[in-house]
Amino acid sequence: MKLSYLHLILGFFLFFCGNSIAQETISGTVLQKNGQPIFGANVYLEGTYDGASTDENGRFSFETTETGIQTLVISYVTFEPFMMAADVSQLKDLALTLREDVNSLDTVVISAGSLEASDNSKVSVLKPLDVVTTASALGDFVGALQTLPGTTTVAEDGRLFVRGGDAGETQIFIDGIRVFAPYTPTTNNIPTRGRYSPFLFDGITFSTGGYSAEYGQALSSVLLLNTIDEPDQEKTEIALMTVGGGLGNTQKWENRSLSVNASYINLAPYIAAFPDRNDWQKPFETFAGETVFRNKFKNGLLKLYAAFDTTNFQLTQEDINFSEGVNFQLKNSNFYTNASYSGELSSDLKIETGGSYAYGNTKVGVFGSDITGIENSVHLKAKLRKRFSNRVKLSVGAEQFLTHFTENFHDTGVDVDYGFNNNISAVFAETDVIFSKKFAIKVGARGEYSELFEQFTFSPRTSVAYKTGKNSQLSVAYGDFYQQPQQEILKFQQEELKAEKTQHYILNYQYTANNRIFRAEAYRKQYDNLVTFNTEMAGFDSVYANTGDGFAQGIDFFWRDNESIKNVDYWVSYSLLDTERLYRNYPTAATPSFANTHNVSVVAKYWIDDWKSQIGFSYQYGSGRTYTNPNTPGFLQEKTKDFNSVSLNWAYLLSPQKILYFSINNAFAFNNVNGYQYSSTADANGNFNRRTLRPAADQFFFVGFFWTISEDGSDNQLDNL
Amino acid sequence: MMKSILIITCLLLSVMATAQTKYEQGMRKAFELWEAGKPNEAANIFERIAQAEPDNWLPPYYVSQIHVFQSFSEKDKEKLVPQLKTAQDFLNDAKAISKNNPEIMVLEAQMLTAWIVFDGQKYGMTYSGKISELYNKAAQIAPENPRVVLGKAEWDIGAAKWFGKSTEAYCEDLKRAETLFATFTPEGEFYPQGGGSRVVQVMAENNCND
Repeated sequence: MKLSYLHLILGFFLFFCGNSIAQETISGTVLQKNGQPIFGANVYLEGTYDGASTDENGRFSFETTETGIQTLVISYVTFEPFMMAADVSQLKDLALTLREDVNSLDTVVISAGSLEASDNSKVSVLKPLDVVTTASALGDFVGALQTLPGTTTVAEDGRLFVRGGDAGETQIFIDGIRVFAPYTPTTNNIPTRGRYSPFLFDGITFSTGGYSAEYGQALSSVLLLNTIDEPDQEKTEIALMTVGGGLGNTQKWENRSLSVNASYINLAPYIAAFPDRNDWQKPFETFAGETVFRNKFKNGLLKLYAAFDTTNFQLTQEDINFSEGVNFQLKNSNFYTNASYSGELSSDLKIETGGSYAYGNTKVGVFGSDITGIENSVHLKAKLRKRFSNRVKLSVGAEQFLTHFTENFHDTGVDVDYGFNNNISAVFAETDVIFSKKFAIKVGARGEYSELFEQFTFSPRTSVAYKTGKNSQLSVAYGDFYQQPQQEILKFQQEELKAEKTQHYILNYQYTANNRIFRAEAYRKQYDNLVTFNTEMAGFDSVYANTGDGFAQGIDFFWRDNESIKNVDYWVSYSLLDTERLYRNYPTAATPSFANTHNVSVVAKYWIDDWKSQIGFSYQYGSGRTYTNPNTPGFLQEKTKDFNSVSLNWAYLLSPQKILYFSINNAFAFNNVNGYQYSSTADANGNFNRRTLRPAADQFFFVGFFWTISEDGSDNQLDNL
Repeated sequence: MMKSILIITCLLLSVMATAQTKYEQGMRKAFELWEAGKPNEAANIFERIAQAEPDNWLPPYYVSQIHVFQSFSEKDKEKLVPQLKTAQDFLNDAKAISKNNPEIMVLEAQMLTAWIVFDGQKYGMTYSGKISELYNKAAQIAPENPRVVLGKAEWDIGAAKWFGKSTEAYCEDLKRAETLFATFTPEGEFYPQGGGSRVVQVMAENNCND
């Protein structure tokens, strides 16, 4: 009551005083670039209450008692805020045009080469959950990426083979920092898996070519994994599987959080129940632990990631040259840690910096020899990103790679040590310019110096994107890429070698509308300076040179549709590849055995509401891959039969916290052939006999139970399948 | 002499008073427009007040709330995303001014729910845990706040319905929210106080009155 009495007096005075204070009228029209009026824009004098909304004709008019120079502000969603300083007496009958906000959703995106799995990207083709719900992937992030265009089905290997490149041509980065050993170790004909848990990442960018100057040492592809910035809540996760178990826990505090998880996999019971084509003395056993610590500061975020795992197994595999088979044993321990900090130094200057350290120790026993390899690697990196305006940004950075590798070969009477130090320094710079919502370019360059080869390389990179319609765009990209020869060469020979090189040319078309994505990408990749040698296996006696070359060209298609059929989400990828190369000990240029012409993936997910279940289906097709038949003239002149596999899974939600999961790979038990092994000597008739390389097991079954315990019992990783 | 005293008093009073009354006038005008079915104009006024009163969390809170509420009925995806982004921007402003505020937590949970309604597959996994956490945190700070009790109950009912479970157990929570709404006194003028009619509606939807 007291208050309103005061108001009355104040009101009276104001009324009285109001007459003695001059008022100015501010008026004008707000338009779009094309002359259309903007309805509902907010127009006001900065720091004051004086303002109005525009009407249907974009007109506004309001009174103010302010005098002198004032800032007029106009704000409206999807347009850049407009500001203008002038004397209030001049702010009359203005005709103002707003610029479209290029950060808004419908701005062109440079999409050539890259495929994203994330929540926030405009060009995302996969969602984070797809990694764990794709039937053929079995929870392996690499498996899910193999359903995307540009990849080749090499079922016995499990790694990523991109556009005619071998697996070593793809590099993997966690939070921008290089990973040195992304795959669990394995042996011939047994596919590997990615080491890292898919639940730790909320953004995956898979680039099949033409990527940013920020990334080097990759001839064909980069895979960028981003760890979660802030976990959703405190929880404990329990996994019980036919092949082992896992336990995870997340704790949160005001500005920090810690996630820890551990898993133990042992294939012994599974192999006892479903024996495969190998004779296992010590079935595959692995123990892995991971932890992520995150600390938010006022203007930045620090993440520490560490992973440790050990693997060991021993088996005897059939071999055409050894009737008793070949015995192979492996023990590996691997430690990887990565720290990254990203923060704002000022409102338009960002820093991203970090480093990683990797230690790998692998002991292999084969043919009575023991081979022990120890690798220590470090990556340090710093990047600054300056934002000149919404439309112009510049990144510059520097990085250093240090690798120290030693190997010991021990056999009766032989004991040799060898290895190498491989240090690479790099700098890069890149600028992004958005000319309009329709047209953007990215231009960058990267310089690298290799201490080992005393070689400097320079790689220009550029890409351009143009919006051709409301929902469609065209992008082109060009880039030069260099990568050092692989460890298996470097450990024998470091002198007189130099980096291998590729050049990428990419043309991309993308159409996105209404939960549907269509993408087509044509490319040509030129290989130069590939390492060649003149012996059957790379060794100390081989003569090495950088005289190899090759090409890969083709076209990739991707279609995803989450709209047309109710409760069904599906995607189809098709890749056409034509590639030949002369490298290693190839006598002539040929299509390598890890490349094939046609690859198709179909993935579908069907949600059945009544059953609280998601049924997943995936089909992989790969046309035949090359092999050499010594009984006829030629090299890599024949092809295996086509590869087919259908995988099915069923995820059943028992309750919000409990999921039962079944999956079966190659449900229809297609007889797949990975290749042939020919005898090294001819028989009495002059014929080389062969053995068919079949997958170790035709099918794989998996049953898992996953339980999430959170404070209020309502969270689940899969509650929104 | 009298005249100059009058002018000086006028100036002094208008400097002192306009800061008060312009805020109150503006807030009242905005609420009127909102009630009159002109939420966009209301949001514009709240936005103007927000930039004139940088230390008050209420104006950005209401800008954000208008955008969140509108997004629940927005069918056009191209409008919805920028709308939710704007809601997020003003929510961040409000959070920066008033830390650990249960009203803002409830609004944030509602905004995240809007994202899930928009695309459950994409945002369900990341946001559902976060929403539960926000309601829990808000309930710890303000167990007697009716909007916290109602928001949490609605979220739990949504989850229970999705799993085909009975929502009967949550009628207790709704009844509690109803009682709390009846006795709730806002901290001051313009402070959040809505939700009383919503609870009646939710109770009717879940047959809590049978």
